Amino acid sequence: MGNVVLRAVLIGAFLFLLAPIAMVVVSSFNGVGVFAFPPQQFTTRWYREIDPGYYSALYVSLVVATVTSIIATIVSVPAALALARGGFPGRNLLSSLCLSPLMVPALVTGVALFQFSLLFWDVFKVTLGGTITGLVIGHLTFAIPFGVRAVLASHTRYDLSIEEAAESLGARPLQTFFQVTLPILKPGIVSGAVFSFLISLDEVPIALFMGGGSATTLPVKIFTAIEISFGGDILAVSSIIVAISVVAMLILDRFVGLERLFMSKQ
Amino acid sequence: MGGDGKKWGVFLLPALATLSFVFIAPICILIVLSFYQMTGPAVVGDEASLSNYVQFFSDPFYLRILWNTFTLGGLVVLFCLIIGYPVSYFLARSNSRWRGFLLFLVVSPLLVSAVVRNIGWFPILSNSGLVNWLLLESSIISKPIPLISNFTGVIIGLVHALLPFMILTLTTVIQRIEPELEDAAASLGAGPVTVFTQVLLPLSIPGAIGGSLLVFTMAIAAFTTPVIMGGNRVLVMATYIGQQFRTVLDYAIGATAAAILLILVGLLTVVASKLGARKVEAM
Repeated sequence: MGNVVLRAVLIGAFLFLLAPIAMVVVSSFNGVGVFAFPPQQFTTRWYREIDPGYYSALYVSLVVATVTSIIATIVSVPAALALARGGFPGRNLLSSLCLSPLMVPALVTGVALFQFSLLFWDVFKVTLGGTITGLVIGHLTFAIPFGVRAVLASHTRYDLSIEEAAESLGARPLQTFFQVTLPILKPGIVSGAVFSFLISLDEVPIALFMGGGSATTLPVKIFTAIEISFGGDILAVSSIIVAISVVAMLILDRFVGLERLFMSKQ
Repeated sequence: MGGDGKKWGVFLLPALATLSFVFIAPICILIVLSFYQMTGPAVVGDEASLSNYVQFFSDPFYLRILWNTFTLGGLVVLFCLIIGYPVSYFLARSNSRWRGFLLFLVVSPLLVSAVVRNIGWFPILSNSGLVNWLLLESSIISKPIPLISNFTGVIIGLVHALLPFMILTLTTVIQRIEPELEDAAASLGAGPVTVFTQVLLPLSIPGAIGGSLLVFTMAIAAFTTPVIMGGNRVLVMATYIGQQFRTVLDYAIGATAAAILLILVGLLTVVASKLGARKVEAM
């Protein structure tokens, strides 16, 4: 009896988790208005009606995500090494400082950056808002902490005697760094970079307040389109995103492990 | 160690310099702005005072927003606990060969864009959508109930977005409780309900509180889902802040609300981590 109830609750919970994702795909082929249920006429019309603007927004998203995770990796790997190994005073404080953006709601960071870009223009006459640079600046706020944290986590299992061994065998410091340290920390570096990339692709509030015009990311483009009018083409775009996500998910699960990606080790 | 400290300091410098520019400076500007007043659309006066804060905590309009925000967070936590407990119990205790696949299904929605997930609720919850169709067809209701573009919609959207985090947290909490304790209680004659209320629930409370705080924090910090699922009609802290900066253009009071949300979320995060909640990512 208890078993039947548990099973029913489980099925209900999983239906709830997966329903909206499945419905995006189903409704995108619905010829009779995309919100109507049951779907009646099969159509691919919405896919043909996708505004080319969505493709350029996808391009912007990919550029921003790539540049952001590259810069974040370059900056955060040395920082994480310094935090893990350096015995300098105030290390705990600096470490929390590096991770602090993760404690701030993205919306607050977004509006803060928006004000910052207005002031920056007033003082230096340089435009940050509505540019790719502005979007990258905005997304570095979470990408750097993600990178630092991922590398710090993989450093806790690091055996420093391996480096001493390399050096006693005659390796120069740089050689040790590139041939010993980096390969050992690689899983942490990769999962930090992948995570930053994914969040950057998905993030709305910061990209909403820092972007605009030709520097609009795909999720922001959809977000603002819904506010004006909600049509079949948006469902078509969304189900293409679902398809890409499913492929990315399977690849990630194979190589990184989905559970590991979302749960950082203590 | 002084020389050593300097050497490592150099490695830290690029990250600190970048974060100072992209994060610390903007947040400082926002906090300074929160002490000024609007003098026209998108224009701010030049006299600093605490009046925005006083207004925020005394004007019934703003107190109502704070109340809505806390109610939203509380209800989202409640529903996540109710749905999350049985699922986590199953995931923690089962030897089923489906376990790995189900865990994958729990986490997988997190990899689909939040905007897309919200869009998927419209064909389900709108007046002509799936749920209302089922209820109308089975004659449970005679006219559609509004389930989206209102407070209900925001709760459904946030429970959906945050349930995976609750399930992951509760699963590790339950895994740490030894199954022998339940077996012992059962062998002493306790039924499943008694085992749950007398053994499992008390032992999992500390972890569940940590998970709940985390979900509550993410719920009140969320922006995308409340805007889309609330159809721009639900007023909580996040949506109010968005409006001030996007349409109303009262930057000063918007900055005050943002600073209050920042402090609130910061405090809750610290409390949650003090309670030993495992760190889980927000999207």
